[in-house]
Amino acid sequence: MGGRVLHFHLAGINNQNFLMRDEETGSWWQQVSGQAIAGEMRGQALELAPYDELSFGLWKLEAPAGQVLAPVAKDAGKYESNWEPKVEKLPTVIDFPRSGLQSRDVVLGMEINGQSRAYPLAAVLAHAPVEDRLGGTPVVLVAGPDGKSVRAFRSQLDGADLELFHKSESGWALVDSATVSEWNFTGCATSGPSMGKCLQALPLLKDYWFDWRNYHPQTSIYRR
Amino acid sequence: MLARVWNAIKFFNPNRRGEFLTTELEVSRKNCLLPGVVFLLLTLSAVALFLIPAWIIQPFRYQSPRALSLALTLRQIAPAGTLLAGVVALFLAMGLWPRMSRSKKSAIAMGLFFTAAAVVMARTDYFEWMFHRVSAPGFQSVTDSKLDPGEMVLAVRFASEARAYPIRAMAYHHVVNDVVSGIPIAVTY
Repeated sequence: MGGRVLHFHLAGINNQNFLMRDEETGSWWQQVSGQAIAGEMRGQALELAPYDELSFGLWKLEAPAGQVLAPVAKDAGKYESNWEPKVEKLPTVIDFPRSGLQSRDVVLGMEINGQSRAYPLAAVLAHAPVEDRLGGTPVVLVAGPDGKSVRAFRSQLDGADLELFHKSESGWALVDSATVSEWNFTGCATSGPSMGKCLQALPLLKDYWFDWRNYHPQTSIYRR
Repeated sequence: MLARVWNAIKFFNPNRRGEFLTTELEVSRKNCLLPGVVFLLLTLSAVALFLIPAWIIQPFRYQSPRALSLALTLRQIAPAGTLLAGVVALFLAMGLWPRMSRSKKSAIAMGLFFTAAAVVMARTDYFEWMFHRVSAPGFQSVTDSKLDPGEMVLAVRFASEARAYPIRAMAYHHVVNDVVSGIPIAVTY
């Protein structure tokens, strides 16, 4: 932040979204937005780094020389493998009852040019690749070969819109409608006329519906 | 300024304690009520500085913007506020002590205990009692990692450096500070 390295730790919760505090200034930061909501840094926002949420199996294929955070020995026993169904049952404190989604439905939130949309994870996994248009931009949400990882791309190549679809029911390979090239899960063409070209990746936030809706009051919901 | 600091030290000087006690006592012996009330108020405010934010910032409780802002403001002034209250309360207690009945002495001791607890809690991140922080993240190669291929990770790549943070560990620690290719990042889940 402004050339100063800040170190964060968990310091509280705000309607079930964590608050972090930095050691250097003692300011409070909202986990979901990266914004300082109290303290010296109030009003400032951290820059969102490009990141992915995907399965370890897919990631290690893409990054065989990558490094994995090692479990902290004294705490590893407390890591829960089955925490998701447990959290799903926990009560929420803010709800949007007429929205059509349940508070703890997992959505993939996307924001482009000030417009935001929630893509229910279950719908995306069932119907991927999901073609859509948000903030004037053609987008595609792609589910990985593992059937659980999702990435989003701007479905445009050299200024022209393109559509992606699975080549066959059996295999995973994605093909585009414009050049009939094959694409992989990193969004790059692996064969055909577009080979070597890559689509622009778009950030997705995997979140519970209530939290996404709370921080994006104008959000729409993707419905197929 | 230095003189004032020195005076304060002199005030605490055990050799001078008798002097302080006799002069102070003579003035206030007749009336313990005022220092007693001030002592009580100090104890209550120190405890409130810890308890009010702790009450507001509960995981399964709705935080209104106003309540949250109050909680964070109190949390910010609590380290200095509780300490100040504690020091003044301690002085009052020292003055009151010789003139107090046994039951009042135990009340004062209890007040001091609660104030001391508030001083400690104002400096403690009790959220980290449940979720311990990762003080120095360690890393494994892909082949050394025992992670199941189906487990989800948060992944970043800067230049040639790629790093993965298993969700299962992140769902416990919640925050990891790291530097990847020279870029400081906070990974949070």
